[in-house]
Amino acid sequence: MLRLWPAEAPTSPPVRRGGQIVASIRAEPRSFNRFVSRDQSTELLTMLTQGRLVRINRATFELEPWLAESWESSADGRTHTLHLRPGVTWSDGAPFTSADVLFSLQAVFDPKTQSVVADTLRIGGQPITAKAPDAQTVVLTYAVPSGPGVRLLDNLPILPKHKLEGALAAGAFASAWNNTTPPSEIVGTGPFVLREYQAGQRVVLDRNPRYWRRAPDGGVLPYLDRIVLAIVPEQNAELLRLQAGELDLTSSELRPEDYVPVRDAEEQGRLRMIELGVGTDADAFWFCLKPEAKARDPRFAFVQRPEFRQAISHAIDREAFVNTAYLGAAVPVWGPVTPGNVQWFWSDVPRYLHDDTKARAMLYDIGLEDRNQNGILDNPSLVEARFTVLTQRGISWYERGTAVLREELAKIGIAVDIVPLEFGALIQRLLACDYDAMYYRPVVTDLDPAGNLDFWLSSGSAHFWNIGQRTPATDWERRIDTLMLEMAASLDPERRRQQFNLVQQIFAENLPVLYFAAPRLYYAHSTRLRGVVPSVQRPPVLWNADSLSVTN
Amino acid sequence: MTAYFARRLLFALVLVLVVSSAALLLTRLAPGDVTAQLGPFAAPEEVASARARLDLDRSPLAQWVLWLARAGRFDFGDSFLYNRPVRELVARAAGNTAILAVVALAAATALGIPLGIVSGSRSGPAASLIRAASLVCVSMPPLLTSLLFVFVAATTRWLPAGGMTSVEALDGRWSTWLADVALHLPLPALALALPIAATFERLQAQSIAEALQQPFVTAAAARGVPPREIVVRHAWSVSLGPICGVYGIAIGTLLSGSFVVEFVAAWPGLGRLTYEALRARDIYLVAGCAATGGLMLAVGMMIGDLLLAAADPRVRERPAG
Repeated sequence: MLRLWPAEAPTSPPVRRGGQIVASIRAEPRSFNRFVSRDQSTELLTMLTQGRLVRINRATFELEPWLAESWESSADGRTHTLHLRPGVTWSDGAPFTSADVLFSLQAVFDPKTQSVVADTLRIGGQPITAKAPDAQTVVLTYAVPSGPGVRLLDNLPILPKHKLEGALAAGAFASAWNNTTPPSEIVGTGPFVLREYQAGQRVVLDRNPRYWRRAPDGGVLPYLDRIVLAIVPEQNAELLRLQAGELDLTSSELRPEDYVPVRDAEEQGRLRMIELGVGTDADAFWFCLKPEAKARDPRFAFVQRPEFRQAISHAIDREAFVNTAYLGAAVPVWGPVTPGNVQWFWSDVPRYLHDDTKARAMLYDIGLEDRNQNGILDNPSLVEARFTVLTQRGISWYERGTAVLREELAKIGIAVDIVPLEFGALIQRLLACDYDAMYYRPVVTDLDPAGNLDFWLSSGSAHFWNIGQRTPATDWERRIDTLMLEMAASLDPERRRQQFNLVQQIFAENLPVLYFAAPRLYYAHSTRLRGVVPSVQRPPVLWNADSLSVTN
Repeated sequence: MTAYFARRLLFALVLVLVVSSAALLLTRLAPGDVTAQLGPFAAPEEVASARARLDLDRSPLAQWVLWLARAGRFDFGDSFLYNRPVRELVARAAGNTAILAVVALAAATALGIPLGIVSGSRSGPAASLIRAASLVCVSMPPLLTSLLFVFVAATTRWLPAGGMTSVEALDGRWSTWLADVALHLPLPALALALPIAATFERLQAQSIAEALQQPFVTAAAARGVPPREIVVRHAWSVSLGPICGVYGIAIGTLLSGSFVVEFVAAWPGLGRLTYEALRARDIYLVAGCAATGGLMLAVGMMIGDLLLAAADPRVRERPAG
């Protein structure tokens, strides 16, 4: 049984100002320019050094005013007028104004930038247009109404016009603020400023003395003087260094196999272990359902039938799956939206309870039975229900999960061979639909389903069982397309919820992707850290860095 | 001697060319490429742009020719993973690995040779213990050794459990930095050195045991030369040949061992860089790392040859050609 501390002790001592913490990151930042780099280290550095107009609170998922202190939206949901917080300055002392917002939007949508953020800010495929009536006001216009409204702006770090307009004008914005840029050139409105980057070793950030946000007692933020991001590529070494007190925080949540040693360290008073909650991503199992790629595969005739996939869902004992793949630290799930996504999880999503007899009967109904008595089902042409499942090499829970899958499916006569591949090879096979089935955990890019249209729409690049369809391959995909587009444009929260519940129902009935369990995420940090507000999203603790402090 | 050096230099050039070209072509031909780092569902335009930037849209042969032409001007391309020129990355990492390798080799020599002399020239429990310890060290994979050392460092807190410098040395002077690096060195250096020290010990023990059977040793003993002097002054110099011969190989072992040790101990060296480049299929970085590794191996083998020539007059006197 895991013993867990609350996120913050109820009788916390007064917050101490000053001090430093050392957190680990697994890899070097590819750039200091978030517009052109999507790696986790760049994203974390941007979170620490740059501000946004609005912020989604990573613990409550509520929208909070940030560099914009208030806003009004028009009745048609297309126009949003944002009032910027007065008195905010960049870390070099230059005033922050609406010109910086306009510049950031111009830079992100400039074709030469090739921004990795731009797609998340297009509405109806069109960029956001903006104008600035004065230095403190920005008016944004969307091409079509958008359900998420200004929440989208959480994806847009606001960058300083006075530092980067030259690069944009010269068509060199994509290479500006790369990781060889002197730290003094990188200015921001975030709680920390870049002090030093030692390639291969660490990134050092000092507190931004001009940070605008104030503590509840009116004092300045951030509390910490310095954050050191140590580059520790190996996860076992990272944990050992955390236990040794060389690190205060790690880059990600604990692996299931780490719970016991961390609990022991906690009992010795060396670490504190917290539960972040149920993860928003679950491992997925799916077959390639692209008719063009599988036209000559005789198994496709039964794989493409929903009954086949429903039978598989019945065959998996999800409790056993939780206990084996995640060593008990997970919850059973029946769809892509996990209980960790509290706003959009639907508890009434259709479930397939564990029942091998029912699974066998369903397979029999679609013509699959063990005709040659070798323990594997065959269709009337004696084509066996045998599949190769690709997964990523070196991920312990994938190995355990696929082992459970193989055992459970063997009980109903479906044979599975597991092939772990390197990440690059796995992605190549995925994009080419060059596989029978795959077991992998695609990461949800946005908790609002309207931000994940690339997954839900049949034309989407993350519609991974049949990527980028010109026209929907099935009726149920066509229905989901219609519902999702309506849902994304709807301004009525209740209607959006109803439409998305219907989408989840259609998805669960047709099961293009099967989900078995979502992990419960645990995290460990040093006992001297205060102000921790855990989040199931990454970074689990540093998202709230301006409010962190240390006891000594 | 000039002809000898010219031959070795040519060998080094060929080695670097073959190793780096093979690395480039094998990385290119392996399934998947570095654009997978953009994520499974990156926009096709973004993937296409990255592939064009890295010449992955050309045929493997065309890419190799282009790379070779640029490499002739010491331009090894850019790393996709680090978004920097390969030359810059590799130079920094090779310097760090050289520091680690020199210390590890010195430690391996300082441990392995004396222990080999002891175990090869004596019998009894001490010799047996050394032999047993060597066998354990030779058979320990570097991953296990380095994790064990990180664990010991983390538990005892005698030494830093990873990295090359600490934050405290940031504002310090040159001497502070040096002291800080010296504090971080023992862990990865010992993890690298132990298997090599064990190899040296085994070779030295066998070699000195054979030398002690030679007639000149019997003659020296008959002349009344003390046993310690026979071992140190007479037998040892003769027994050094095999040790010098494996120095070049030892440098190769150091490089391959550094893949894992630098990764676990977070030492920012060539091994870790190569490992990360290979994992990500960062094609030009893989080729640059392989070229540098090949160069270091060639230099190591040359040093080994020179040591052998210094230790064994027969090698010195062998005609060139």
